[in-house]
Parts: sequence; structure tokens; C-alpha cells
Amino acid sequence: MTIAKLGYTLLGLFIVWNWGFLMGAIFRKIGARVSGRIGIPFYQPWINFFKSVGVRTTITHGVMYYLGPVFRLTGGIGLLFFMPLIYTGDPNGMWTNFSFEGDLILILYFQLFGMLGMAMGAGEGGHPYSAMGIARGLAQHAAVELPLTLAILSIAIQYDTFSMYKIVEAQQGGFQNWVLFTNPFAAGAIILAMLGAMGHSPFNLVKAPNEILIGPATEYEGTYLGFMQSAGSILHVMEAVLFMNLVFGGATSWPELIVKTFLIYFWSVFVGMVFPRYKIEQSITWFFKVPLVLGVLAIIVFSF
Amino acid sequence: MISPIHILTIGLGGAFALGFVPKKAKDAAAVLMLAAIALMGVLTGSWLIGLINGESAQQIFTAGFKPPFSINLLMGLNESVLTTAVNFIGLLGGIYLYRNLKEAGNHAVMVFLIFIMGLNVVIMTRDIFNLFVFLEIVSIATAGLVILTESGKSIQAGFKYMLATGIISGVLLLGIIFAYYYSGTLNIDGLTAANIGALKGGSVALLLIMVSIILELKSFPANGWGLDIYEGSNAGIGAMLSAATATAMYFVLSKLLEMAGSEWNYWVALIGAVSFVGSNVLALKQRIAKRLLGYSSIGQIGLLMIILGFKDVLGDNTPYVAFGILFSHYFAKAGLFWLAGIVKQNDIANWAVIRKKPYFLFLMGTFIFALIGFPPFPSFFAKWELVMELVNTGNLPWVVAILFGSMMEAVYLFRWFGYAIKGENENIEDFKIEWNKILPVGIVAIALYVTGYFTSQHTDAGAAINWIPLFFVAAIFILDFLPVFIKNTIAIIGMAFYFYTIYPDLDNLRLVFEAIFMIGGILTLIAGYAYKGTRPGFYPVALLMYAGLTTIIEAQNTLQFFFGWELMTAGSYFLIIRGKRSMPHGLSYMLFSVGGAYALLMGLGMAFAGQGSYDMSIINSISYIPYWAYGLLIVGFLTKTAALGLHIWLPGAHGEAESDVSPMVSAILLKAGVFGIVLTLIGMGGENNAYPWLPYALGWLGAITAFSGNLMAVFQEDAKRLLAYSSIGQLGYIVLGFAMMSHLGWLGGFSYVVNHFLYKAVLFLTIGAVVLRVKTHNMYEMGGLIKRMPLAFTAVMIGIIALSGVPPLSGFAGKWLFYNAILEKGWYLQGAIMFFSGGIAFMYLWRLIHTIFLGQLKDNHRNVKEISIWFLIPIYTLLAGIMVYSVKPQWVLQPLGDIVAQWFPDGQLTWDGGTAFTKYGHWAGTAVAVTIIAAFLVVTALLMISTRKAHKVKQFDITYSGERPERPETTHVAYNVFEGLYQAMWVATIPLVEKWWNKVSDFLHDTAGIVRRIYSGNGQSYVIHIVLFIIVTYFVIIGG
Amino acid sequence: MEYITITTGFLIILAGLWAIMTRKNLIRIIIGFSLFDTGIHIVMVSMAFVKGGVAPILDKKELLTDTAHKIVDPVPQALVLTAIVIGLGVTALMLAYAMRLHQEKKSLDIESFKDLKW
Repeated sequence: MTIAKLGYTLLGLFIVWNWGFLMGAIFRKIGARVSGRIGIPFYQPWINFFKSVGVRTTITHGVMYYLGPVFRLTGGIGLLFFMPLIYTGDPNGMWTNFSFEGDLILILYFQLFGMLGMAMGAGEGGHPYSAMGIARGLAQHAAVELPLTLAILSIAIQYDTFSMYKIVEAQQGGFQNWVLFTNPFAAGAIILAMLGAMGHSPFNLVKAPNEILIGPATEYEGTYLGFMQSAGSILHVMEAVLFMNLVFGGATSWPELIVKTFLIYFWSVFVGMVFPRYKIEQSITWFFKVPLVLGVLAIIVFSF
Repeated sequence: MISPIHILTIGLGGAFALGFVPKKAKDAAAVLMLAAIALMGVLTGSWLIGLINGESAQQIFTAGFKPPFSINLLMGLNESVLTTAVNFIGLLGGIYLYRNLKEAGNHAVMVFLIFIMGLNVVIMTRDIFNLFVFLEIVSIATAGLVILTESGKSIQAGFKYMLATGIISGVLLLGIIFAYYYSGTLNIDGLTAANIGALKGGSVALLLIMVSIILELKSFPANGWGLDIYEGSNAGIGAMLSAATATAMYFVLSKLLEMAGSEWNYWVALIGAVSFVGSNVLALKQRIAKRLLGYSSIGQIGLLMIILGFKDVLGDNTPYVAFGILFSHYFAKAGLFWLAGIVKQNDIANWAVIRKKPYFLFLMGTFIFALIGFPPFPSFFAKWELVMELVNTGNLPWVVAILFGSMMEAVYLFRWFGYAIKGENENIEDFKIEWNKILPVGIVAIALYVTGYFTSQHTDAGAAINWIPLFFVAAIFILDFLPVFIKNTIAIIGMAFYFYTIYPDLDNLRLVFEAIFMIGGILTLIAGYAYKGTRPGFYPVALLMYAGLTTIIEAQNTLQFFFGWELMTAGSYFLIIRGKRSMPHGLSYMLFSVGGAYALLMGLGMAFAGQGSYDMSIINSISYIPYWAYGLLIVGFLTKTAALGLHIWLPGAHGEAESDVSPMVSAILLKAGVFGIVLTLIGMGGENNAYPWLPYALGWLGAITAFSGNLMAVFQEDAKRLLAYSSIGQLGYIVLGFAMMSHLGWLGGFSYVVNHFLYKAVLFLTIGAVVLRVKTHNMYEMGGLIKRMPLAFTAVMIGIIALSGVPPLSGFAGKWLFYNAILEKGWYLQGAIMFFSGGIAFMYLWRLIHTIFLGQLKDNHRNVKEISIWFLIPIYTLLAGIMVYSVKPQWVLQPLGDIVAQWFPDGQLTWDGGTAFTKYGHWAGTAVAVTIIAAFLVVTALLMISTRKAHKVKQFDITYSGERPERPETTHVAYNVFEGLYQAMWVATIPLVEKWWNKVSDFLHDTAGIVRRIYSGNGQSYVIHIVLFIIVTYFVIIGG
Repeated sequence: MEYITITTGFLIILAGLWAIMTRKNLIRIIIGFSLFDTGIHIVMVSMAFVKGGVAPILDKKELLTDTAHKIVDPVPQALVLTAIVIGLGVTALMLAYAMRLHQEKKSLDIESFKDLKW
């Protein structure tokens, strides 16, 4: 690991962080327009962030409360570290970040790092909404996991590797090589599971955003909230990058990454605009229907 | 050498002399009787010693005539053993009944003496008419003794006894006269020489003789009178009937069976098997202690009849097997009957009173374990030999019958014992101690251990058993009065020293498991320092379990292995049942363990079959129905790993156990099952084994177990049960890993074995210690404890991150290996179920930490202290282990990989520094950990700088539902938090397995409840049973 | 002729058994036992009978040669004596029992003594 590599990685982090904010703003704007409002200016997330980290008074409920956002942000950053962002033809290239330290499985499990830490941190605040939100979030996550795991296994069987880099490499040379076309069942399962992973409506009972946030983050304010906003923005982009790498051929340049993540993200927002929120038991059963069937088909197709 | 005829002299002379003892000199009469019995014992004992030292057997003819004109007796080795046994138990029984006999007067004393003398002659006689006469003497004496302590019940029982024995002896007499008519002799040897069964009409004579002796042994189902007499008579007499009479009658049967010829072997074995199974099944519904013992006695005699029937198969081993079972029964049943007389409780539930005097509980336990056939008692070795030989000769249905009957016996005996250990005893009046009653009980208990030891030395395999751990347990038992601190220190030093001495002799595979057992054992024992007082009974049983565990590891032959397995089962049973409300769980643990052990026994028997060796290596080359053999071994081991279907004992057993016991039985004990599975799979031949369906089924079973265990854990409200279900799930992963039969699968399995040991010990120790502080298992009654016990919180946090498999902690190693293994093996669906289970695990893990440590602190916990330092020491030692494993996974995985490579050389990990490669992917454990920790620290630093002036708020400084809450109970979201998941997945939580086992249990109990109504209590119906029994056997054996 | 005794013996045995198995009164049952025993005793002696044999007392010279065919077998007769004595003892003890049972429940019906069952 060279210093340059660290530099590129941090630069990537910075880009992703900003892109996440911008993308978030765009979609709040879309949401507002769909419901006939003007909506926020595109720079609102930055305002929110700087306002949050700039407040002079904050509270703390204790050490774990404190560590919640740390876990969350570390989770986001780490995910970026272990994910190859842009395919350059060199497995140790400049935008592959630290993905030499682990493969797809590391990414899959590291996703949970922030989630678990956040779940613990929010708990110390003692607010009932936090606990309810986390309980729902974990249950829904488990349900998402099943089709997702099947699909990922299917892709791994297809390319005989768990290396994210190799999966992206194999999809180069035209959209016809994308998993979306070479393994449509797995792609289908992932595209549907993605909706749950992104946590937009109809799968957003976890945060249950209304006028205010009702969910794990209820008790957080100030820099804590700022960190969580940052983590949210990074995680959103990185989730999209994960699915881009898995299904949509990865990206060979930043613009491609921007476009693809935007579209992936748009998909979940689009669905969210159209469908109302599910209750948690409804969303769990939803993942056990079509996505699960697709996932099993994806396995069956590739195991023979 | 004094002629055995003088037994008669002593008996009759004594009886006559008693007539001259004045009526008021009651003590003199009783002492005279004891002296007479002792004298008979000395006489027979001197014969025993003489015959062992090579003197020749003596045949005695009375009045100088040859048979049939004289009575002739034989004093051979068997006779000397059995008469000595009868006189020994007679002497002890006389001492036990001393006061009763004394009160009843000289006549009763006389009858008792004649009873013992009669049994002596019954054993020695070689003349069937003489046999009849002395049987009648014994019968009449018995009928007299039954009413020694007179009650309405004893008189009724005695009358029914007379009705039944009257008919039986009439039939015997008819048989004898026919036999004489057709053969012209009454001498057993003469009849044998004449081959009575082959003579015209002789077969009927033989049938009548044999059937009447079989009936005298109270064969099922014509045995209602026998049960009544066991229940109705004085417990001291019951002991005599069960130990002395049954022993003598059994020998009579064996004598006559030689006369009857080998075609009778089958029938004797069949009737014995019917008796053994029938009697033990019917006993299931029985709740009256003495009657229960009666059922058990009849069952044991049935088992002995099977052995007798298979004497040609067992060959030279017959006496070894028969005496092993016989003497266990003889000592244990006498002991239990005597205890019944001391405790004086009819209902087995009221036997809870026995633990008001703990040493009596120990005695009772000794007898019950001896009856079931646990080590180190003679019955263990005898049953082993019996099953091995029967399987070796292909008599599998018989083995199944024997094991099924034994299983039923275990059910009711352990239920009874469970009441004694754990039942309510506050409102039951304590029992009185009389020294003359305790002495015999103590002597037979010691005798069981001594005979057990000597029985083991009889065979080469048994002689190889290492008794040192067991002696250590015995020493700790003797020191049980010492305070915890001293005993704990002794135990820890003992285990450490033992581990130090044996570890150089172990191969690496065994070393891994031995290290988990011994180091884990020492660490969990350290937590024991937190307990005050003497903690009676804890150390012997804990060490018994560890003794068993180390014996399994060290075992050079299958007998040793099974010996250790059973010791471990016994020890863990006692450990588990120490917990509160643990009675039903202790029972189900024991029953599954016994069932599993029987599966093992059969499997090991099949391994023995055809190879003729007990060496452990026979598992590697089973040739006799190997599919079944390996399958049975695996099923046996799966009972200990609590695979789905065999798991229902675990949640309660682990959940209700004491705080430092739960980690012992969860983190450590379960690995014994894993060790067994590993051995079996190695034995099957590793990668290219010839039994592909077994690992395949095992793989699915593991995956489904992982899923169910984890899902059930999510819905628990009890913290320890949650962890218990979690263990089921984790063991499911392990089973799946090993079932894959590939390098990566096994490495993943081993990784989980080590990891599960580490984090489950941490979690169970911490939660257990928390429970000790807050005095409840229910998570929703806790909350916010992070403020009171930050160290405990940290431990649980690290524990759950490790368990969840989130990088960078050690759990990820297992996940990563499993993904690679699954891909390589192609078990995608099983793998998907397993990874889905991992997702579910998150829910219970979060629940564990949130509901206990986060959220709202309860008012009654505001002053609880941090968990005990004695728990923190082992917990943080284990955490250090987790940390090392996390940061330097190669230190653990490389040696494990070398072990696995012995059997699975293909597909190993390749290591480049700290980075592991498979053909699919890579993982740099150290680098990942460093990266994450660095990012974590940077972010923490940023946040700390930014929030350095944060205002610390108090517990209720939040707003909820438009108000500031003030009651933690209404604010702490803790109860049934996964309602949504339940609504989506309730189908998967239906306890089908439990329902199935309940159905099985109900079926057996209902059957017993219906069938036992044939014992209507009416003496006439018992006579009808006997007559029908004779008719049926006539038609079956002779034919229409 | 020689079969009459043995047949009678068996018939008495059956009669005794019938009484034991069907009569409800304890005394009758005990009488049944006596019949049963007696029947067996008759069977025993009649089986030892040798056609034309005399009592096994060797008081005449001709009996000393080919003894076995001239006298009836003495062994069963000795056995029967023992059996009778034993039967007597058993009957006496049973009657004593019947007395105690009657003292207990003021009844001689065997159906009344079913406190121990199952």
C-alpha cells in the first residue's frame, strides 16, 4: 500500500460523499415535485451537514450512544475501502481502493458493521423509537439477505470467483456481458432485494420518515447526526456501487459510475414514489415470494 | 474344606436351636440367626476361595446312595459364588431387618434362616425333586416373611403369592414325575445324559419343568403376583426377593437349561426379551416406588434370561456377562429396596425428601446408574460385552430389543431420580436414620464400585481404562465438605497438571479438542470462585464430566471411548440438573443421551463385528453393514450436538443451568459430540468416502438445524435460553461444515469449533454473571445495565460481534471459509439457508445486548454492581483469545489447516503472509483488522473533538409520545420486539419436533396404562395368566 | 384298569384348577388347591405302577431277581409322601392367610382383595 493509493482512496471517499449528498438532494426534489411541492435546493444536504456539525450544544447518553455514529461512519468508509470503485484493468489500480484485502464476502459482511454498531448506539439513547426501528430493520434485513445471498452465490458460481474485481472484469466488453443479461434470475433477485437494502418506500418502516425521523436515529443530533448523514450518503452510493459491480457491469470511469449509481438509486426511489409503505411482516413476506423464487432459480440454473 | 452339606446342618440346627431360645431373649435369637447365616457365608466363602485357587468341585451324595435314591448337591465355582452372594445379602438383609425380626419373635427369625438355607440348597442341588422340595421351602418361608410387617396389603400380596406359586409348583411336580417316568432318573446330570427333550413324552415333561421355573422368575405377563409381593411386603423382604431369590432362581434356570438342550435357548431368550421389554414399558406409568422396583427387577431378570439364551453365542464370556448384569442388579436392587424402607415414601414424587440427607441421594444415584448400566459399574462392562457379541453374530433385532427395554428402564428410573434431586420436599417429613439399616446400604454401594473396578480389569480393553481421573473425582467427593475456594483450587491445579502430563501424547486433532475441554474447563472453573460456602456436590460432578471428556480424547479402544462418553454424560447430567426448575430438562437430557449412547453402542458393535478388535482404528474400516454403522454413530453423536430432532433437551438444560455451568455444557460439552462426528467422518474415509448419502443428509440437517436454532433464539425472552438456542444453531453450522467433507468445509468447521468455544463461553459466562446480579433470566426485566456493568457490556459486545461474523472479529473467518467451501462443494441451497440463518442471528444478538444493557435501567437495578471479578477473569482471557484470532487469523487457521490436510489434502488455503487465498477469493485478516481499526479511530477522534463539550443527559431525558417518560418499564422496548417477524414466519416456529416426541411419549405411556390393567389385583386372574402362559408356551414350543 | 387312576388323577387336577380359577370364595379356592394337589399325587403314584407289580418291599426271594419288573417303582411313592407333606403345609398356610384376610375385610370374596394392582 502506497501513500498514493491511500490518497486515491480518500479522494474517492470525498467524491462519493459529495455525490451521495447531491443524489439525496435530487431525489428529495423529485419526491417533492411528484407530490406537487417545490422542494429543497440541491445544496440542502450540505447545509444540513454543516449545521449539524456546527451546533454548539450537543448531548450524550453515554459511551455506546457516542460510538453508534462512529460505527456507522466507519462502516460506510470501510465499505468504500474494500470495494473496487472503478475498473481500470489493473487489480491494484488506483480506484480499486483496499479491495486487495478481501473479496465479495468481506463486503457483504462488513455492510453489517455499521448496522450493528448503530443498532447498539441508538439503543443507549433509550428512546422507544430507536429500538422499534432497529428491530424492524434487522428483521427486514434478514429477509432481504436470503434472495440476495442466493443471487450472489449464483453469480459466484457463474464466474467461479468471489473476487469483486474479477466479477467486474468478466462483465466488461459490452452490456451483453452484464450479469443482468447473462444471469437474469440472479439479476432479478438482486434488483428486487436491492429495494429492501436501500430502505426506501415501501421498505422504509425502519426509519419511518414523516415530519421527523422516527427510527434508530431519533435521539441523535449535532455532530452525531452530521456523521450519520455522511455515513448515509456514503452507504447509499456504496450500496449502489455494489449492485452496479454485481449486476450492471461495474464502471470504467467516474461518469459511468455516476450515471449507473444514479439509475440504480433512481429505481428504488421510483418504486418508493409509487408504492406506499409496507408493514414489516408484509415486507418480510414480500421478499420470500418473487425475489426468493428468482434466487432459487438462479442457483438451480447454474448448479447444473 | 467343610462339606457343603453342613449348610443344611447349620440352617436346620440353627432353626432348632432357636426353638430353645427363651421368647424374651429376642436379641439372642436374632444374633443367633445372624451368626448362623454368617457361618454359612464363611463356609461357602471358603469354598469360593478354594475353588478359585484351583481346588476341584465337590459332588455330595446323601446317605451314601447314588441318585435317584439320594439327594445330591454340587459345590462348583458358580455355586460357590452364588451361595456366597446369597449368604452375604442374607446377612446384610438380616442386619437390615434386625429390629423387625426381633419384634416379630423367634418364629420369624427361624423362617428367615430357613429361607436363606433353602436358597443355598436350591443353588447347589442337582436333583430336580430335591429342587422342588427346597423351592417349596423357600416359597413357604417367603409367604411367611411377606407378612413380617403386617398390613392389609402384605396379607393380600402373600395370599396371591401362595396361589401363584401353588399352581407353579404343582406344574413343576407334574413335570418332574413325567421326567422321571420317561427317563428313570431325577438327577439333572442323568436327565441331561438321557437327553430328556428328545425322549418320547419327555418334551412335555421338560416343557412343564422349564415353564414353571420361568414362571417362578416372574416372567411377563404372568407376573402380577410378583409385582404385588414386591409392593406389598416389607422393603427388606423385597430386597431379599429381588437380590437373593431371583439370583438363586436364575441359577436354577441356567442349570435346567443345560438339561433342556440348546433348542430351549431360543425360547428362554425370547421369553426373556418379552419380559424385559414388556415389564419396562409397563413400568412407565408406575409411581409407587416399590412396585416400580418390582417392574425393574422383573425386567432385569428378563435381560438375564436373554443372556442365558445366548450362552452358545457368548461362549466363554457368558459368566462374565451374566455375572456383570446379575451382580449390578443384585447390589443395586437390594440397595434401592432398602432405601425404600428407610425413606418410607410410596409415591416417587415424595422421594424428594431423600436429599434432606445428601449422602442418601448419592447412594440412590449409585444404584440407579448401576441399574441402567453406567460406568464404572459391572453392568456397564457386561452390557458392552453382550451388545458387542450379539452384534458380532448378527443378532440385531435382539440388540434393538435390549436397548429399547433399557431405554424404557432409564425413563422411569431417571424420572424417579429427578424427583429425588429436584422435587418439592418442604412439606414432606424427614426420615429417620437407623444404623442397622444404613450399614447394608452403604456396603452394597461400595461393593458396586469395587466390583465395577474388578469387572473392568477382566478384559484387555477394560484394563486399558485410565482410572486416574476417576480417582481424582472420588478424592474431590471425599473432600466435599471443604469450602469452595480450596476445592476449586484443587480442581484447577489437578486439571492443569493432568493436561500438562498428557498433552505431549496427543495428536494434533485430539489436542485441539483436549485444549478446549481442559483450558475451557479451567477457565470456567475460575468463575467458580465467585461462589460462597461449600457448594456441595458441584465439584465431583463437574470433574466427573471433565474426566469423561478427557477419557474420550485419550481413548485407545472403543470401550474406553464409550466409558468416557458415559462418564461425561453422567457428570453433565448432574451439572445440568443442579439448576433451578431443571428437573424436566435434566430428564430429557438424560434420555436423549442414553438413547444416543445406545445408538453409539450399536454402531461400535457393528464396527467390532468382523474386525474382532476394540482398537479405535476399527472405526476407519467398518465392514459389517457400514452404512448403518456410520449412520448410528453419527446419530449417537448428534444427540450431543443437539441436531434438529434431537435438540429438545438443550434449551431448558442449558438455560436453567447455573451461571458457570451453562458455559461448561454449552461451550465445552457440545464439542464432545463434534469430536465424535469428526472421528466418524474420518473413519468413513474422508473425501472419497463410500457413503455419500450420509454426509449429504448430515449437511442438510446441519443447515436446517442452524436455521431453526437461530430462528427460535430470536423469539426467546429468557437470555440464557436465547443463548441455548443460539448454540443449537451454531452447532448446525459446525455439522454442516464437517459434512461437506472437503478441506475448506472442515477448516470452516474447526474454525467454528474454536470460535464457538470462545464466544459462547464469553457470552454464557457474562450473561450468567449478570443473572447472578439481577436475579432474573428475563431480558425484559433488565435494561440499561451498561451504566452499572460496563465491563460486562464490553464483553458481550465483542462476543456478539464475533458471533455475528462481522469483520474484523474472528467470526468472519468461519463465514468466509464457509462461503468458499459451499461454492467448491456445490451445496448452494444448504449454504443459502445457513447464511440466511446468519442474518437471523443478528436479531437475537442485538436483542441480547440491547434488552439487557441498553435502553432504560430498571429502578430495582440502580444499585447493582459490576459482575464478579472471578467471572471477569475468564471472560477477558477468552476475549483476548478472540482478539488474537481476529487480528492474526493465520495463527489459528494454519495449524488447523495442517490438521485437516491429513485427511483432506486438496483445496487447502494458500497463505501469502497474512493473506489467505482460495481459488475463489482472498482475505487478509490482519490488514482488514488494521484498516477498520484505523478508520474507527480516526472517526472516533473526529467525533470526540467535535463533541468534547457534550452535555451528559440523564436516563429519562428524552421525549416520547409527547411527554418525558418516568417509568423504565413503559419506555424500554423489550418484550416481543420481533412481532413482525413472527407474523411473517410463525409457520417455521411450530415446535413439530417437540410435538412428535410428546406423541411418542404419550403413546408409550398410554400403552403402558392400558396394558398394565391386566394386573387387575385379583389373585384368580393371576392364576389364569399363569395357566394361559403355560398353554400358550405349550402350543408355541411343542406345537399343536 | 391302569388308566383309570391316572385319568381320575387328571380329572381331579382339572376340577381343582376349575375351582381355583372360577370360585370366588377363598375357602373354596383353597379346597380347589387341595384337589389340585391330590390329583397330582394320584397321577404320580399311578405313573409308577407296574402291571402285576407288588409293593416294593423285598421280603420274598423271587423279588430279588429282575426286581424292576416285579415291583412298582418305589421312588414316586417316596416322592408322593414328601409332596403330600408339603401340600399339607401349603394348605395350612393358605387357610391361615384366609383367616387373616377375613379379619381384615370381613369378607371371603377374592374380589375384595384388590388393593394392589397395575
